[in-house]
Amino acid sequence: MSNPNKLISKLQGIVGEAHVIHDSDKLKAFAVDGKVPRAIVSPGTMEEASGIVSFANDQQLAVIPRGNGTKMGIGGIPKKADLVLSTGRLNRVIDRDCENLTLSVESGVTLSEVQRDLAERGYFLPLDPPFTDKATLGGIVATNSSGPKRLLYGTARDLITGIKAVFPNGDIVVSGGKTVKNVSGYDMVKLLIGSWGTLGVICEITFNLLPLPEKEQTLLIPFAGLDEAYGFAQEIISSPLLPASVDLLNATAADRVKDLMPSQKGKYLVAIGLEGVAETVERQISEMGERGKKHAALDVVSLDEEGHQAFWIGLRDFPRGLTEDYPNVISLKSNFVISKSTQVLRSYEEIARGLAVECAFICRCGNGILYSHLLVGDDLGSRIDSLVELITRFSSEVSQHEGNLGVESSPLPIKEKVDVWGQPRGDYRIMRRIKEQIDPAGTLNPGRFIGGM
Amino acid sequence: MEREKMVEELAQIVGGENVLASEMDLMLYGYDASLYRGRPDFIVLPGSTEEVSRIVGFAQKEGIPIVARGSGTNLSGGTIPTRGGIVLHFSRMNRILEIDTENQRAIVEPGVFTLVFKNELARYGYVYQPDPASEKVSTFGGNFGENSGGPHCLKYGVTTNHILGAEVVLDDGEVIWVGGKALDNPGYDLTGILVGSEGTLGIATKLILRIMPKPEAVKTMLAIYNTLEDAGSTVSAIIADGIIPATMEMIDKLTIKAVEESVHAGYPLDAEAVLLIELDGLKDGMERLAQRIMEICKKNNVREVKAAKNEEERAQLWAGRKGAFGAISRLRPSYLVCDGTVPRTKLPEVLSKVMEVGKKYGLPIANVFHAGDGNLHPLILFDERNEGELKKVHAAGTEILKLCADAGGTISGEHGIGVEKMKEMSFVFTPRDMAAMRKLKMAFDPAHIYNPGKVIPEAEA
Repeated sequence: MSNPNKLISKLQGIVGEAHVIHDSDKLKAFAVDGKVPRAIVSPGTMEEASGIVSFANDQQLAVIPRGNGTKMGIGGIPKKADLVLSTGRLNRVIDRDCENLTLSVESGVTLSEVQRDLAERGYFLPLDPPFTDKATLGGIVATNSSGPKRLLYGTARDLITGIKAVFPNGDIVVSGGKTVKNVSGYDMVKLLIGSWGTLGVICEITFNLLPLPEKEQTLLIPFAGLDEAYGFAQEIISSPLLPASVDLLNATAADRVKDLMPSQKGKYLVAIGLEGVAETVERQISEMGERGKKHAALDVVSLDEEGHQAFWIGLRDFPRGLTEDYPNVISLKSNFVISKSTQVLRSYEEIARGLAVECAFICRCGNGILYSHLLVGDDLGSRIDSLVELITRFSSEVSQHEGNLGVESSPLPIKEKVDVWGQPRGDYRIMRRIKEQIDPAGTLNPGRFIGGM
Repeated sequence: MEREKMVEELAQIVGGENVLASEMDLMLYGYDASLYRGRPDFIVLPGSTEEVSRIVGFAQKEGIPIVARGSGTNLSGGTIPTRGGIVLHFSRMNRILEIDTENQRAIVEPGVFTLVFKNELARYGYVYQPDPASEKVSTFGGNFGENSGGPHCLKYGVTTNHILGAEVVLDDGEVIWVGGKALDNPGYDLTGILVGSEGTLGIATKLILRIMPKPEAVKTMLAIYNTLEDAGSTVSAIIADGIIPATMEMIDKLTIKAVEESVHAGYPLDAEAVLLIELDGLKDGMERLAQRIMEICKKNNVREVKAAKNEEERAQLWAGRKGAFGAISRLRPSYLVCDGTVPRTKLPEVLSKVMEVGKKYGLPIANVFHAGDGNLHPLILFDERNEGELKKVHAAGTEILKLCADAGGTISGEHGIGVEKMKEMSFVFTPRDMAAMRKLKMAFDPAHIYNPGKVIPEAEA
């Protein structure tokens, strides 16, 4: 539809005048990698979302789904950005059934809102991705965002039993339901989790809930060297003990959260979150402390309720505020087999040292996930080549350990030079075929997903 | 191509002794644990991924169906060769390739029996959590295809939560890896889609499993009830109280009778229902939780709660549950097991409606099921040789699934759709939902050579 007025009035016809933004000044704030959309549309119901998507699909307009925009920097540069579909008005709780440990809620609600509401009733949703005060459930699920507690509770794929989504042809497709076990038909829920809005606009999600733990506590154990730190972490992970999270930070990362700790020592910090039955938390605190000392821990510090909560919020929201000090910060996520954590971390440190790039590293030891934040200031222009080299070398290192490196956020000049998703693997061909079957016109989020899908 | 020529070509791939085509073989591979029957044209026993790939290439060229199967414990007819073709039997690909405790992963071939692997794993102090009742013979290929469940799924999730990747042969014979030993590989979750796809999208030839250190402590209790409703209410009361046991299994009077005659698990014959409740994890605080559970049982009119005092007593209590399906055949020659799932608060209500359905059709119904996650298994008992009864049984089964769907549940929790439940898919899915699933099928297998005529009903013209 080339006539802009006609486009806007059509959109207004679907969602109402008040829910279409088309003022060019306002639109700039919604640009994705520099591409400014023609309109921001906020459907109030799943049916309206269906109307928007099916209209866009017919008119060959690209639709970029968006919650509160905490992840708009992740992914490839979009091929096209005609409409941004905001889920902000899809914000209703559909079915809060605590007795059954399920919650069905629309995708535009933030995780914090949900957690507050559930906490009053004694329950929680066991996901702790970054920026829960802003991040919407739809965005969290579409990007398969996770946090430190995934060690104990798993990720979205372990916690979601149902999704309602608008597919590119406008069909409202219901997958799964509210029962934990369900093998009726194909598991379309798994297909949509982590699909980056390229197959459907997620409108409603059913989560499993858990009762709030009786007790929560944190152990902070600093070490002088990586071998001691990881040796300790590995011992915990391979024991029957059940920590909620085991994160390993280098000194640069620990320094960024020093205000949340009573003291800071050593070159590496192992932070362990514990929650559950009171007796198990108490026993683990003392046993892990003892085990730490055997690995030459420099200190053993525990944090109770408030300190504990604040520390983990700080850690999961680690990138927050980084851009103020380092306007061109680059955040990378690497995955690999867990036994190679030290090897990967050590070679990353060496590569970074060689290229004089300061890095904050946070390793989710029990999961084989490493977040690397490259602290780049105003001098990006002169450092592009060395930063690209660093990313390339990190990537080739981690690929030797059955893993991959993805760029989670970076300034545009870097994005233009690296593949933010890493190397496509042997399964890419089938992914491509799925995308072509479900979204033949390339309506949803074109270009932002792996391999330029 | 002529049949004899086909046998010859298949023999060239796997060796003559690994192609079965006698009348007897075709009979033996025409059924599984469901009530359905079919007839394959050939049975092929591949010995390697490469052989599987070549067989698939052959089938694609000839346009004949391929049905992959393990031990045939399938309860929904998923492994029945309803349209003939090749049955690919994985008994020769039964090696445990790797137990990698350092990375908490293992790699197995699809023909490995679940329990054989678990026993091997126990030597390392590790466990694989899913525990289908048929685990003595159920294979990993089958677990993968069906997304099998089991009692411990209440706390640990089903097969899909424990399979992290696979080597898969695609419809054109190409071999790819999906997922991997590492978590969070980029792209669509193909492993998640393939698990539970009932052999209709691809054939797994190696599986990457999540293994975990064995829980430190376990506590098993048997709660005995005078009514089915009280047992059902206890289940939702325990969950609502904030306790998630590892298992909560329910066994009713009729099943108890059969079980006691065969395995002597020590369930009281005059009870209307028993609950098998197990806690696992760290030993600390477990006694306190067990006490809390006993309190809840008492509030719900339990007659008695027995706790297993040692591993032997625990094994005995479990023997009753695990042997239940087998024991049922002592009561009547055949049974149809329904696999509906409901939100657990609806259990007492749906259970009593299920029993009404039995009365309406004049068929006895035995119940043995995963109460904790609301997964019912009403077993409708009958005699297969009586055609009138067979018809009634299918009608009663459909009615029970409708009850589950209407209570906010679904038509299959863990046994799959297969051929048996295709007609009930419309209870829970709209034509649009199913159209989306068909697109997925088209992406993987546009020529429909993989297990055709299963899971998704054909679109109405």
